[in-house]
Amino acid sequence: MRFVVALALLALPAPVLAQEAASPQGLAEWQKIYEVFSHPRCANCHTEDDHPRWSGAHYGPTRIHPFNVRRGPDGFGNTGLTCQTCHQETNAQILHGPPGAPNWHLAPAEMVWFEKSSAQICAQIKDPARTGGMDLEEVAVHVRDDALVAWGWDPGPGREPAPGSAEETFAALERWTALGAPCPAEESGE
Amino acid sequence: MRLTVNGKAIQIDAEPQMPLLWALRDLAGIMGPKFGCGIAACGACTVLVDGAPVRSCVMPVSQATGAIITIEGIGTPEALHPVQQAWIDEQVSQCGYCQAGQIMTAVALLEANPSPTDEDIDNAFGGNLCRCGTYPRIRAAVKRAAGGPAGA
Repeated sequence: MRFVVALALLALPAPVLAQEAASPQGLAEWQKIYEVFSHPRCANCHTEDDHPRWSGAHYGPTRIHPFNVRRGPDGFGNTGLTCQTCHQETNAQILHGPPGAPNWHLAPAEMVWFEKSSAQICAQIKDPARTGGMDLEEVAVHVRDDALVAWGWDPGPGREPAPGSAEETFAALERWTALGAPCPAEESGE
Repeated sequence: MRLTVNGKAIQIDAEPQMPLLWALRDLAGIMGPKFGCGIAACGACTVLVDGAPVRSCVMPVSQATGAIITIEGIGTPEALHPVQQAWIDEQVSQCGYCQAGQIMTAVALLEANPSPTDEDIDNAFGGNLCRCGTYPRIRAAVKRAAGGPAGA
């Protein structure tokens, strides 16, 4: 019986084994991308529930956005209290004033990054059903060119920016895609 | 710089980054919107820009290119806006400082949603703080203005 199981494992199709054989360079590129996507400046508004998150040097642990701010029907908040009631097109220059960028809103719930593992985010970004139909090239261009994404590297006073830059993250996405867009294995215990 | 406030064009001389609230109060003499926190955390400065509620203390005046409506623009003592009348009927105000902002949020909510539920009201007013705790009367007044049964 053991012999049969061993034979069956040997017969597994190549893609399953390919994950273990993923190029180290590709995984290194993904790690750079993951460090951006999982950074609070990005992940705090990529949540799967109704609430954006707050975090920063003066905020203590990451917390739910106060004022009963919610996703609303379209990700732009609720009638009477939309995201753009407070978040203007530019950052408030006063400490603890609201950050701002054009089109301020929550990412769709299926694009969740907040508290998700590297493997989970990697699987999401490669699934057009969970990227608004974008393939990896379109994701890369979106990261490079979108004004709200760009805010992550220019978040206003008192907030740590996401690592690197939009251009560097675009380049990492291009290299990762060219290397086969490998995803890390899910870590045990996650 | 030219602003359109309560249906009138006004000319002001302001730095582009000046908060709209400063321009309204200090340059245009429109004193209805109140300064509370200065960081969009209380709602006392709420005005409408193209019908949408905005915290005027954090909107740079250069971005206020739409039609601005303050509480002075929604009704007159002789012809109150239905929300203002409901506020009087329900005796909402206590100290009153936040109430111009509360009323502007109510106007924006009812414009988009003429029959709000309790949940709709909670979702709209979470950013308008009232340290006198008039929330039950605010809810009653919003429902009265909507034409439904009032009562806190």
